[in-house]
Amino acid sequence: MNILDVLLPTIVFTICSILTVPLLRLVRKRRLNPQHFMLAWIILSFSAAAVGVVRIAAEYFSQSQSFIQISSTETILAPISTGFLVDTVSVYMVIAYLIAGSVSCIYGILHISPKESLSERYYALLLIVTGTVIATTFSGDLLTLFVFWEATAAGSCFLVAYRKSRESLEAALKYLVMVIIASGFIIYGLSLVYGLTGSLNFSTVKEVLATAGNTQLLLVAFAFIVTGYAIETAIVPFHMWLPDAYTAAPASSSAFLSALVDQGSYYILLRVLLFILTPTAIVDWRFTMAIFSALTMTVGNLFALAQQNVKRMVSYVCIADIGYNLIAITSVTPIGLQGNLFFFFVAAMETSLAFMITGVFNKMGLNTLEDLSGMGRKMPLTSLAFVAAALSFSGVPLFAGFIAKYMVFTSVLQSSVAWLALIGVSNSVLQSAYFLRVIHYLYAKTPMEAMEMKEPRKLLVPIYCLVIIIVILGIFPALALDLISSATTLLPG
Amino acid sequence: MQTLLIALLLPALSIPIVYGVGRKSAKIAALILALISLVSLSLILTLVPTVLSQDQYIESYHWIPTLGSSFTLFVDGISLSLAIVTLILVAAATVFSINYMEKKSSLPQYYALLSLLTIGLLGVFITSNLLLFYFFWELMLVPTYFIIGGWGYRESFATAFKFFIFTHAGAIFVLLGIGAVYMLTGTLDIFEAQTILATVDPGVLNWVLASFTIGFAVKMAIVPVHMWLPDAHSEAPAPMSALLSGVIIGAGGYAVLRISLGTVYSAMPPSAGNEFLYVLSIFGIISAFYGSFLALAETDIKRIIAYSSISHMGYTMFALSLFPFAQGITGGVLHLVNHAASKGLLFFTAGAVMHQTGVRNIKEMGGLASKMPLTAIASVVAAFSIGGIPPFACFISEFLIFVGAVTAAGSVSFYFLPTLLMLIATVFSLAYVLRYIWKVFLEAPTVKIEVKDPPRFMTISTILLAAFVVILGIYPRLFIDLIHAVITI
Repeated sequence: MNILDVLLPTIVFTICSILTVPLLRLVRKRRLNPQHFMLAWIILSFSAAAVGVVRIAAEYFSQSQSFIQISSTETILAPISTGFLVDTVSVYMVIAYLIAGSVSCIYGILHISPKESLSERYYALLLIVTGTVIATTFSGDLLTLFVFWEATAAGSCFLVAYRKSRESLEAALKYLVMVIIASGFIIYGLSLVYGLTGSLNFSTVKEVLATAGNTQLLLVAFAFIVTGYAIETAIVPFHMWLPDAYTAAPASSSAFLSALVDQGSYYILLRVLLFILTPTAIVDWRFTMAIFSALTMTVGNLFALAQQNVKRMVSYVCIADIGYNLIAITSVTPIGLQGNLFFFFVAAMETSLAFMITGVFNKMGLNTLEDLSGMGRKMPLTSLAFVAAALSFSGVPLFAGFIAKYMVFTSVLQSSVAWLALIGVSNSVLQSAYFLRVIHYLYAKTPMEAMEMKEPRKLLVPIYCLVIIIVILGIFPALALDLISSATTLLPG
Repeated sequence: MQTLLIALLLPALSIPIVYGVGRKSAKIAALILALISLVSLSLILTLVPTVLSQDQYIESYHWIPTLGSSFTLFVDGISLSLAIVTLILVAAATVFSINYMEKKSSLPQYYALLSLLTIGLLGVFITSNLLLFYFFWELMLVPTYFIIGGWGYRESFATAFKFFIFTHAGAIFVLLGIGAVYMLTGTLDIFEAQTILATVDPGVLNWVLASFTIGFAVKMAIVPVHMWLPDAHSEAPAPMSALLSGVIIGAGGYAVLRISLGTVYSAMPPSAGNEFLYVLSIFGIISAFYGSFLALAETDIKRIIAYSSISHMGYTMFALSLFPFAQGITGGVLHLVNHAASKGLLFFTAGAVMHQTGVRNIKEMGGLASKMPLTAIASVVAAFSIGGIPPFACFISEFLIFVGAVTAAGSVSFYFLPTLLMLIATVFSLAYVLRYIWKVFLEAPTVKIEVKDPPRFMTISTILLAAFVVILGIYPRLFIDLIHAVITI
């Protein structure tokens, strides 16, 4: 496998992204149906990328090593080289991105009409961000990871700002500032790491960290890197930008960002904490992370409980989800890692599903809980999808959210921070309470105005795709879990 | 043969059918659902000889190997008895709904939810895998929430909300227990787990036991975690109340026996002490008294029955605390069966009375015996059974419980006082039952109301269920044999 093979999906997305703008303009000029064209175009680019990913996966699974390193230079561990790493975790994540990404991109086309004058840029951004997230996931050294991740973050800002309303511009600016601060932290940490170890490659750094006598300075470096990524992941207390950004962005952007960019940032945190800064080797960050985890989920859920605006509520749920993910990272157990990876996938679908449904409601002018009163009867299909999302978030079986939560909570029971399970469980009850409140508004209240609602049938197609995937994964989680069962061999200790 | 799998999947397959047919005719949909549950019932009945001769019957399918879970369906005498009574109640409740729900809207959804609920109700008794158990456990919750909310009385969604949060919070404790068992043993099969748990430090097992039991106690509505029950039972439509009070809280009792006692407690060494059982016993007594007293004071017809359920779950809890004395446990399980049938019947008759008179307060009723003779007879059968009057069903099981209790008191001095208190509690049970019958059916009416017996399907299902309760009382052998076969192992 060479570097082109690994980058193939990203290259496909980049080319498709660049071609989107002229092609869509051409289609408009020819007076063809731009929506049909865009649907075909998105499906085409995703399938082309999927072919690339399948090639990587096939090659990876056909050999016996637990991971493959690919470098731009001859010697794999040369000091500065663009390195890529293919292992079970990254292959699994990329597959998850392709599934969640394709559905949310299709939703994007249906939500933001291709007839809008600047929409071609929006679609181009969706495609290229997907590409960079995939490249981030395959990165094998800290610099490559950094570069691709910054590209992702920059693209995300524009996805937030697309509507150019006052709020969205402000939120995008806030997001951008946070990202820049974060990258300042990260780049400072990276320079220290490079100065101390002479390399940024994951495995070299890991080895040095495990064997070097004086690791004090390296730890400082990692503190910077982790803080930087914690800001981008929106761990409390660095979370302020996220609810603003996701609320102000068009619903399709929020759905896309929560499906890909959010999960991408958790993935980085997982990679850095679990595979480079291995807790058993150098420093036990588990207790610190446990505190942040408890804080993040509690704050996320409490703020979600306090919201009247449904979209903002879902944004806070994204934060709570990070807290749950941190539980699993903290446990450093095989079931924790598997649970984490499964949670990524499920959370990607759940949150984007929730944002998509909110988008449908917003299109009807329904923003707050009060507005949703009685919609269970007027918009039965949309409301039913929301019930599925809510039950999945609440951790009710038949939905994939249950298996994810079960694994996450179980993983921590035997670690040194077992109390975290109790906090997680209480949070889960809190979460089911505020989701049930939405269901309560949907079905129990009487509508405020006697207006006729017509459900946008087209938008329901991607929504129900996600509902079906969530239910299937909830009943047969083995479909995804079998793929990552070998990931546990990568764990330290 | 995949008997159990088919019996379990039939209600699942019926969801789209019932929904589709329900859009044309709700009556036919209900009859289809009733028929399907009877087919499931007959499938399960074919296993009776196997279970009687081989003690248990297991089917296992591939499911989630990564989590040490396979799709294991199993029955022994205990689960078989409870599965039988569950399916009978589901069939009866469905037929009862035809007339009872006639005037309500969205009936296709109602029957589809009822089919979904059936899977949960049946599944929870017939699996030996903890994760699968939890699936069914929560599957009892979601359809119930929507049925109470969507088709209940006044503030039904608020009540359903309370019900959901309470029982979901309880279920989360169960989930913690399941996770702990998995982390300690690496398996989720209750029988394998029990063997491996025997090697685990009892100090840790105490926590697991507490977590499980708290979770189950919420579902069982043991005082002080009973707050959801009176509201949920009284707000739900009558067929749902019958299932709630008959099966759902009974499932809590079953789970305490099967998982808390059968898997975790029995894995602990005898030196670990009996304090756990004493705690169960004390809470059982508190619930028995609390339920009876409030049932005596209540005037709302359905709330009386709801409080009586708390009281009876207290009996069951007390019976389970006699573990491992055979008569006590047999009595406890038999009580779950008898109580399910009798309480279901009592809710049917109460529903019939409310449906016909439109009144809930028993002070406004009276003299209905001459106007609704069939309902009155069924009501007397149910109420006498609940009150523990021989030869009705619950008398037999309460008798067995007391035989077990006296045996236990003979060897463990602790049980002496609880047994005495429990005997006193039965007097109060008798009191509220007699008051109920007197006020509703016999006393001279204060307000004149013109009523007659309820429509066809309600009467049919009530009479059939009443016949079942009578059979349970005069011929308890079948269930006793089934249950006893397991207990004596």
